[in-house]
Amino acid sequence: MCVRACPLEINIPGFIRSLREGRVSDAYAIIREKSCLPSICGRICSAPCEVACVLNEEAAPIGIRALERYAADFGKGKLAKKQRLLYGGKKVAVIGSGPAGLSAAADLAQRGYQVTVYEAFDKPGGILRYGIPEFRVPKKTLDHEIDQIKALGVTIETNFLIGHTATLEEIRQKFSAVLLATGAGIPKFMDLPGTSLGGVYYGEEFLMRVNRAKSTFFSRGVPKLPLGQKIAVIGSGNTALDCARTGVRLGRQVTLIFRRLEEDMYVAEEERQYAKEEGIQFASLVKPVEILPDSNNFVRGLKCVRMDFADRDGSGNWEVAELPDSEFNLDVDTVVIAVGHNPNSLVGEGTPSLKINDDGTMQVRDNDSMTSIPGVFSAGNVRTNAGPVVEAMASGKKAAEDIDRYLRG
Amino acid sequence: MPFKIINKLVLADQVKRIDIIAPNIARRINPGQFVSVAPEEDDEHIPLTVTAYDLIKGSIMLIFPEVGHTTKKLGAMHIHEEIYSVLGPLGRSARIGKEGLVVCIATGIRIAQILPICRAFRDKGNRIIGVIGAKTKRSLMLEPQMRLACDKLYIATNDGSYERRGQATDILGEVLEKNRIDCVYAIGSVEMMRAVCAMTGQKNIKTLVKLNPVMTDCMGMCGSCRVKVGGKMVLACIEGPEFNGFDVDFDDLEIRMNAYEENAQWGNLPSEHKTGNGGPKTLTKFLSGILKG
Ligand SMILES: Cc1cc2nc3c(=O)[nH]c(=O)nc-3n(C[C@H](O)[C@H](O)[C@H](O)COP(=O)(O)OP(=O)(O)OC[C@H]3O[C@@H](n4cnc5c(N)ncnc54)[C@H](O)[C@@H]3O)c2cc1C
Ligand SMILES: Cc1cc2nc3c(=O)[nH]c(=O)nc-3n(C[C@H](O)[C@H](O)[C@H](O)COP(=O)(O)OP(=O)(O)OC[C@H]3O[C@@H](n4cnc5c(N)ncnc54)[C@H](O)[C@@H]3O)c2cc1C
Ligand code: FES
Repeated sequence: MCVRACPLEINIPGFIRSLREGRVSDAYAIIREKSCLPSICGRICSAPCEVACVLNEEAAPIGIRALERYAADFGKGKLAKKQRLLYGGKKVAVIGSGPAGLSAAADLAQRGYQVTVYEAFDKPGGILRYGIPEFRVPKKTLDHEIDQIKALGVTIETNFLIGHTATLEEIRQKFSAVLLATGAGIPKFMDLPGTSLGGVYYGEEFLMRVNRAKSTFFSRGVPKLPLGQKIAVIGSGNTALDCARTGVRLGRQVTLIFRRLEEDMYVAEEERQYAKEEGIQFASLVKPVEILPDSNNFVRGLKCVRMDFADRDGSGNWEVAELPDSEFNLDVDTVVIAVGHNPNSLVGEGTPSLKINDDGTMQVRDNDSMTSIPGVFSAGNVRTNAGPVVEAMASGKKAAEDIDRYLRG
Repeated sequence: MPFKIINKLVLADQVKRIDIIAPNIARRINPGQFVSVAPEEDDEHIPLTVTAYDLIKGSIMLIFPEVGHTTKKLGAMHIHEEIYSVLGPLGRSARIGKEGLVVCIATGIRIAQILPICRAFRDKGNRIIGVIGAKTKRSLMLEPQMRLACDKLYIATNDGSYERRGQATDILGEVLEKNRIDCVYAIGSVEMMRAVCAMTGQKNIKTLVKLNPVMTDCMGMCGSCRVKVGGKMVLACIEGPEFNGFDVDFDDLEIRMNAYEENAQWGNLPSEHKTGNGGPKTLTKFLSGILKG
């Protein structure tokens, strides 16, 4: 069951058996066959396999994610270079070095292509680097995984923003195929009065600043952004939870505000429990309506209304609706908004032939990852808009297959 | 790719100019575009306008005053040292058309940003009146270059130590009275651009402004550069930094620009969150914070 649930099709019973027999490096090798970022997945995967676990009916599922983390952290050895099959050394460019781009790059390199990854940031990793905080994915672990991928012969070119430093068209001409894996890193704006005030941040900025400051705390250490003592985080996804948990680690008092029920949050149960243990207050069924300014135009408080389930038209359809006269002011001085992302299709700037859907996702052919430009493929969150790491990786692997098929004709 | 500093000059009081080797950027840069620079690994990335470029050397020229952590660090770097990260060109290029008589107005450090705009307007065959202002003669920079780029140049210093005493906007008022102006391009503080737009609005003159909101990643992934333009929130790093002056909500911009002035609000925070003077106490506190996590 679990193997079918895993988008990467990792041989889960196989590696667990190896672990049970004490062969940790064998377990690692089994995972490694399918996944090029095992210690990342072992930490933050949404673990669809655990949901599908056969033991679920009787008791709790096996902690597959934790086992994977163990195997990856303790079983890792030097990555043996696989024998390379050379298809005339064709060159492939991968744009974006998030999980989708990296998996595709690793797969393509293993198939004997010359792969160059272009990344706009100064370091590769995508959201794993600048979004997810250090305490969930240590930068050292990430560096190690990326070194392994580089060892396969992948070149990573940072500080290179496709669409600006070079256009997609130029890259297309230099390479036999191009993969767009630019992710979905653009924050969704929230339509709320007061979002311009001082002390209001979007989750991406908050995490990015903390992440960039933290990675060498000896030289600098402090994120350069003004923070109050009481933070309200708006949102119920992974980003919101990460912002909240980061806030706690900065010594702040954090309230997480969201419109739905706690059980309906889009996060792994485990993460939610951690957050509770860390002392984050959960304000479920609350909707913010206005950020209140003080005389300096900084945040003074957050005006909210309570929500509840209501059967408004009597049809038995219970929906979340505002409770009348339930307005209250939350006493906070910083607000972090993390209500979702839009796909990053800015790579198409200056290349009108690249077709983009109305919601910003990349248009692709059915059953294939190719976009409207022949030889240009896309994978990861830029295609799906949102989704867990494993799906981005699986989509990267699928794109690698499609590219391989395309290049072999 | 190494971004080597090949030239470094002091232009005015505390203002430095550096030339950096960055052939990929020099090849594609347009007037009005900027780069995002981090002097060393894990430093803050800051946006800086490319004032000029040299295709033969493959270099770009940046001009900045040493005001904060990052610019001080950048200013302390020597010739032949390598800058860790330079990303660009970023932002949209300036909309330079054949307008006729154009006024380019800028104050202080923003003169470095208006220079490439003046040159581009001139190359398109426009006539240009330059108006620049500075606090004192000592902080005035790029005067010769501006004189070459403009057909006529007016200078104002706030303390009267050079040419006219007063504000650049005073001169603009007179220029607008005496000439039939087709277009005004303004780069300056929020108050200055607001004043310019008020003046040109009366006469219905096309006005372009270049905004400098605080930016973090400079490529549309964080939202810190959001500004209200035409009643909508837009990202200045993607859709700007140049906008039509009459569309910009300057009150909102003022709030955004002020939002990062730490001391304005949380001056009484525990010491760990004041930047700059990270004493040993700060470090220990911060470390323990991380170890807990
Ligand atoms: C805070 C946070 C927490 C999360 N937590 C979890 C979790 O616990 N579990 C889980 O399963 N998922 C989680 N996710 C989701 C997961 O991170 C994403 O699914 C995954 O990172 C998507 O990968 P990607 O490769 O598609 O894109 P990204 O990781 O976004 O990578 C895209 C890369 O492309 C680069 N790029 C973009 N445009 C260009 C360009 N024009 N030129 C060059 N480079 C460019 C970007 O800089 C970026 O590095 C979380 C996401 C966030 C934001
Ligand atoms: C599109 C764009 C182009 C720019 N071009 C130039 C340029 O060519 N030359 C130049 O000197 N500066 C330019 N700036 C401003 C430059 O980014 C800031 O001066 C820089 O971020 C200061 O960094 P710091 O770490 O040295 O100072 P900080 O410690 O961050 O701040 C020091 C002082 O600078 C002010 N400041 C911080 N960020 C900005 C900002 N974005 N705009 C204005 N003031 C700011 C702060 O309010 C503070 O008073 C530009 C900004 C943008 C958005
Ligand atoms: S600077 Fe990050 S979105 Fe513009």
